[in-house]
Amino acid sequence: MVRARGLVVLTLAVFVAAACGGSTGGGSAKGTIKIGVDLPESGAAASSGLPTLHGVEFAVKTINDAGGLEGFKFEVSNFDDAVNGAYNEQKGVQNVQQMIGDSKVLGMIGPFNSAVAKAEIPVAAAAHFVMISPSNTNPCLTKDLPTCSYHPQDLRGGNPNNYFRVVTTDDFQGPAMADYAYKNLNIKTIAVLSDSTVFGKGIADAFQVRFQTLGGTFKRLDYPGETQNDFKSFLTSFKNFGAQGLYVGGTDDKKACVARSQMKSIGFDVPYLGGDGIETAQCIDDAGSNNLNINATSAGADATQVAGAKTILDAYKKAFSGPHDLGGYTIQAYDAATALMQAIGRAAKDNGGNLPSREQVRVAMAATKGFVGAIGTYNFDANGDNDLKIVSVYTTESVDDPATSTGVCATKAPKICFVWKQQFNFATS
Amino acid sequence: MSEGTTAVRDRTVGDALRQAQQAFAGDVGGALFSALGVVGLIILVVLAFQNPGQFFQILIYGLTDGALYALVALGYTMVYGIIELINFAHGDIFTLGSFVALPLLAAFGVDEGQAFGVQIVIALVITYLLVMIIIGMVNVTIERIAYRPLRNAPRLAPLITAIGMSFVVEGLMYIWRGPSTLHFPDLLPETGWIVNTVRIGVKDIYVLVLAIILVTALTLFINRSKLGKAMRATAQDRDAAQLMGIDINRTIAATFFIGAVLAGAGGMTWGLYFNNVNFALGFNAGLIAFTAAVLGGIGNIQGAALGGLLIGIIAAYSDAYWSPLWTPVVVFGILILILVFRPTGLLGMRVPEK
Repeated sequence: MVRARGLVVLTLAVFVAAACGGSTGGGSAKGTIKIGVDLPESGAAASSGLPTLHGVEFAVKTINDAGGLEGFKFEVSNFDDAVNGAYNEQKGVQNVQQMIGDSKVLGMIGPFNSAVAKAEIPVAAAAHFVMISPSNTNPCLTKDLPTCSYHPQDLRGGNPNNYFRVVTTDDFQGPAMADYAYKNLNIKTIAVLSDSTVFGKGIADAFQVRFQTLGGTFKRLDYPGETQNDFKSFLTSFKNFGAQGLYVGGTDDKKACVARSQMKSIGFDVPYLGGDGIETAQCIDDAGSNNLNINATSAGADATQVAGAKTILDAYKKAFSGPHDLGGYTIQAYDAATALMQAIGRAAKDNGGNLPSREQVRVAMAATKGFVGAIGTYNFDANGDNDLKIVSVYTTESVDDPATSTGVCATKAPKICFVWKQQFNFATS
Repeated sequence: MSEGTTAVRDRTVGDALRQAQQAFAGDVGGALFSALGVVGLIILVVLAFQNPGQFFQILIYGLTDGALYALVALGYTMVYGIIELINFAHGDIFTLGSFVALPLLAAFGVDEGQAFGVQIVIALVITYLLVMIIIGMVNVTIERIAYRPLRNAPRLAPLITAIGMSFVVEGLMYIWRGPSTLHFPDLLPETGWIVNTVRIGVKDIYVLVLAIILVTALTLFINRSKLGKAMRATAQDRDAAQLMGIDINRTIAATFFIGAVLAGAGGMTWGLYFNNVNFALGFNAGLIAFTAAVLGGIGNIQGAALGGLLIGIIAAYSDAYWSPLWTPVVVFGILILILVFRPTGLLGMRVPEK
């Protein structure tokens, strides 16, 4: 009897302690609002996901340090959607369901991968739960293109749009590299490879259509992803085709850059091109001794190209000073998180200073006009796309001081980094 | 290792080919494979004339891949021959070999970019020996704790245990080194020779020569040594062997040890050749090696070697001339066709039914 009563007291004490010790930023006037994050954070995908997470954390820290918004402070509720080192759609859906089940989470940043977004949007849309991705580039998530196998409105299931992104789409990313290859690198005959994933095939298709329109010829093959070990056989057939370059639509966790490491020994020494899936430290490491002249696009502007971005970038590097804390989508994540928090702030204001509902946050997010972020000014359209159509091209080079690089640097060969080369703005072309 | 006849004799290449010829005569399975083989050969000959340089280059790649698969296939075939178990964990033992080699090579202080010299050779030789012994002991331990207790259980039990053990080994490697692809140092020299536009590298020759040495050593051991004779006897008839005074437990343990020695060496060689390994490598590579063992004739050592080479070559040609996306379909399609039409495999050796 006594023991049971002691247990009840202990349990109550634990609950009280948990309720008090919850938020990271200490007590605040009106409480803490949680922002969910769903990114691939373990294994091969960690080199993409973790730097992106840090971008969100930095945005939350910046706003909390400035006193929060409307009396509320913010906290990150972090989820990993990687299973066995690669992004996993089912895990992402579980994470979103968990976030929706937590009434303090008013919106989320993520996911990183378009395939995961395709699975998550229906679940989030039904709950009117805002998703803003720092990096999804598959156009079919928001645009109803003839090349898509599904309609974006079907994903939302009749619910109002809850999905937004701060980057542009593969229907510009692929063509940007096609322009760079044809005009800047003078490649007229090219090999195109894809890792057979939703992202890989989409961007490879977009690339080759544009390349052909420009007047080039291509040979296309798809490989079955991470189970492929020996790339040399079909690389040889590309070489004998006379390819002057190789474009890979794929991600590093599907061994897109292992193919690069096998190119030198077969005498196929041509530039390697790809999308943002290969703009990672893992890629430079996987490429082994053949890690130079890897060209990758990133959906978004480089920090060196936008006024004021450098200040934010330097502040970020001070707060997150590890050698691999800066990733290809860190600053995009910073912008996405800031946009979400600002929308929550506006919704709270419209709600008389009280905690807004998820639908109110969604309405505020959709109404975002002229939001000034670190690397761009954002307006969202009815589908959740923004009107920035900027793609940046980076090339791996040996640099003197990786700490000052605005591009991603390698882990094992630390003086090799992705260096910004050129920007393509499809809004004006 | 298993014999259709009761005589225990040396197997020469001539014998193997004669066996293959006999096996192809007559039945539906043989007819089907003869037909497929002929069609395949015609297609390859046409392609060879179109671009001989590419044709022979792909052949080189196919042979080296095949040699690596052969090293793994031998372990599958030996274990099946002696206790009729498909050891699904064998592919993961192979991967473990490459994982164990990484810290050992690092301990010698060798790294890629170093000029190939005496230091690297010594490091490689010692690491190979250590890896082979360690992986051998690991496999013996696995046999002792997971398979021996089930030796008299219905055959499904050790099979499921093997699948479980495969996941255990993969899980341990995941916990040890994480899920990412690991870069294996590129220590072998990059030099090569160009013969009529076909490039043969030192690495390619290295893999082939190493595989030949290991397979030859294994064949000599099986055919000439006392333990080898014990293995063949145990494979043929376990009870009779026991009656003859052969220590069954020791013989089976030795089989697992030797199979793992080959797999461990294969794993380290894979790492040196491809320069990247990953905890899940053994799952897929093991399935392909198993297909190779079945193709050659499960339980037959020459069959495993032949099967490995054939699968390697077929996969390489499929990648180059058709599409890498179809290659898994081709390889596992072969597995299904073999099991349906010719379960004894190309060299047609059967394990005696007990």
